[in-house]
Amino acid sequence: MIEQKIREIAKDLLSKKTVDLVIGFGEGTLPLRVTPRFIRSPEKVDRLIWNSFCENNLATYVHKFSRFKLGLVVKGCDARSVIALSLEKRFQPGQIFMIGVPCQRMVDRRKVSRAVKGDILQAREEGDLLYVKGDGFEVSLKRNDFLYSSCQACTHRNPTRADVMVGDPVEELPLKEPYHEAKEFEKMSPEERWKFFEKETSRCIRCYACREACPMCYCSECFVDSSNPKWIEKSFSPSDLQFYHIVRAYHQTGRCSGCGACERACPMEIRLGYLTQKLNQDVKELFKFETGIGSEAPPPLSTFEIADKQDFIK
Amino acid sequence: MKLRLDKKDFRSFLQNLIETYDLFAPVQLAEGVSVYRKIDQPEEVDLTHPNPQKPAKDLFFPQSEGMLRYEKVGKQSQMTSVDEVKRERVLFGARPCDIEAISIIEKVFVGKEYTDVYFLEKRKKTTIIGLGCNHPLSTCFCSSTGGGPFLRAGSDLFFVDLGEAYFVELLTEKGMAFQKNPFLKEANPKDLTLVKELENKAFEKVDFSIPIDGIEKRLDLMTESSFWDRVHEGCIGCRVCTYLCPTCHCFDIVDEGDSQKGQRVRNWDSCFSPLYTLETSGHNPRPTGQERTRQRFMHKFNYFPKTFDQVACVGCGRCILYCPIHFDIRKAILWTSSKRPKAF
Amino acid sequence: METNWEPKILAFLCNWCSYAGADLAGTSRIQYSPNIRVIRVPCSGRINPLFILKALQSGIDGVLVSGCHPGDCHYISGNYIGRRKSTTLKRFVEFLGIEEGRVQFSWVSAAEGGKFSQVVDGVTQDIKKLGPIKRFVKKQN
Repeated sequence: MIEQKIREIAKDLLSKKTVDLVIGFGEGTLPLRVTPRFIRSPEKVDRLIWNSFCENNLATYVHKFSRFKLGLVVKGCDARSVIALSLEKRFQPGQIFMIGVPCQRMVDRRKVSRAVKGDILQAREEGDLLYVKGDGFEVSLKRNDFLYSSCQACTHRNPTRADVMVGDPVEELPLKEPYHEAKEFEKMSPEERWKFFEKETSRCIRCYACREACPMCYCSECFVDSSNPKWIEKSFSPSDLQFYHIVRAYHQTGRCSGCGACERACPMEIRLGYLTQKLNQDVKELFKFETGIGSEAPPPLSTFEIADKQDFIK
Repeated sequence: MKLRLDKKDFRSFLQNLIETYDLFAPVQLAEGVSVYRKIDQPEEVDLTHPNPQKPAKDLFFPQSEGMLRYEKVGKQSQMTSVDEVKRERVLFGARPCDIEAISIIEKVFVGKEYTDVYFLEKRKKTTIIGLGCNHPLSTCFCSSTGGGPFLRAGSDLFFVDLGEAYFVELLTEKGMAFQKNPFLKEANPKDLTLVKELENKAFEKVDFSIPIDGIEKRLDLMTESSFWDRVHEGCIGCRVCTYLCPTCHCFDIVDEGDSQKGQRVRNWDSCFSPLYTLETSGHNPRPTGQERTRQRFMHKFNYFPKTFDQVACVGCGRCILYCPIHFDIRKAILWTSSKRPKAF
Repeated sequence: METNWEPKILAFLCNWCSYAGADLAGTSRIQYSPNIRVIRVPCSGRINPLFILKALQSGIDGVLVSGCHPGDCHYISGNYIGRRKSTTLKRFVEFLGIEEGRVQFSWVSAAEGGKFSQVVDGVTQDIKKLGPIKRFVKKQN
């Protein structure tokens, strides 16, 4: 069982002092939710769990705990983020011990909440089914009908690199076409696309949950806080909301692992996946680069090829 | 005064309000996402989501609020204040937790020594129609903070959903202005019995066991505790809890514009932002997330009670529902007392 | 559509090639559309994509970025780096629904005064067909 193995590995790492701290997932107080857990002693490893709700990208804690030797529980996408961070030299070589978990695809708790009528009080996973109980209802749902969009299209569920792998590799068979949300979006006319983007970003409250949840957003001064030059104002305007999202997504070019943490963190449920999917798709097509996969190619926007595409340049 | 509004008259009741007032009510922006907004059509009102993400404080303390405008006319600069509220307003469908939160914020903005005219204008010119919570969520703990799912305090009118009608109670002078409303009829004894039943059922569901009592004294002893290291370690430092919190009221005032015209704007800010306490010298008294998490907690449960005799938390549960890393403030409160929950 | 509307176009020209090319167009007395406002930058690789976005947000109808031909960059490889940024930004902005043709790029050398005027005429024509920018523009309140 994956959960048991994670605990064993964590215990081993902490007893031997290979790491100072293991960051994994622990039980939440609400059904369908987990919370990041920070284990410092071998006795406490029983607090670590593993289930289909371990949706956060724990690589985002690499910056906060950069002084420690870390053991990090990573799914396929999280491992890619760690590799991307290592390429950007965000931590010392050998500082992070990646506990790689071949991912069973995460369940979208919002989809589950919408499928039932009322407040969910209990939930449990058993094989392919989710048993969900609430006030006046009890249903069993097929787990595969409630997966995150980003998980359905995932092409690297097995961590491409890890110091130890917990469990056997899983089959890399995307359930949906990679970049499917971007492709769907592209089918619309430019006017429809802009209307959709405008509508989605209009409910943004600039809480920056997307930015903080993203492991690649670590600038000590984010462009939104720059006052000279002042790119956007702090006060509300639809155009500034659009600017924020365009730039935050664009700053992920060649860096995003498609983990979906941004979209999952948003309290206003703004669709964000299609933005970075487009950028990832372009980076793959143009520069043959996929974040965190393959050899130690440098970040695509920091380099060039003589033969780069330029048919659009007059 | 106890009245009722048949659901078949609900649309007309709202339409009537829209003609006389600026009506604010919960509006759905996307499935599962709603906010309080000014509505032009009764159809826009959406009460399916238990509690809108953005709390009712937005009506009195908007996320972005123009305070004054300036414009160069010839050689002179003209400044105009933007404090006036032209039309009377009605807030419909706010829950008791959000309404209690407005009274909490009011203690800060309308004080003995100074008054925030922007807040006060809006507060004075708004009639609040509260809505009782027939189905509190598992995350609701208003009873622990001194509130309750059917708490009337702060409402001018109080509605309870009875199924085919709303029970309507007129509570204040502003509320009594509705006694001649053509759509409100006298409530019958069956209505009153049903209200009591719903109230009792709701009260049983809300968590009143969270040990808020005495938390101020417990926190007095904990300023330097390692407790804060544990509490803050998962926090990613976003602003979801502070922006969605009905009592949080930190703000930032900025000037926007150029030499010809512009405005001064007040925006929501968050003590979780590292820039919030960054001083011009470069010194930051709250340099890491640890100090900032401690600040939020202490402000709500120690500093605010010291000044205003009330905790600055109404138990709405939004911070629990929407925190990206599922930090649960109830756990932290429980941890300050001797009781430790299993899941911690 | 208003017949006497003239588009405002911002042109970021690299100092060593495109700006010199524009200068040559001027000294050669070549007539071309007067709609561009020029911002001189050291190299096309210096262009921060936010400049282009900020320009569009401010109500500028079109943006032209022009640099040295590949292989001729005064800083050796600046234009190559700029090229990757240009490609990804252009695709992204058009993906979102900003009309194709509002953001354009060119290579103009210091000797190509004629080409510069043609490029500017072309861009101006394209923007005239698209009309004034409405999407993304920040409304002054």
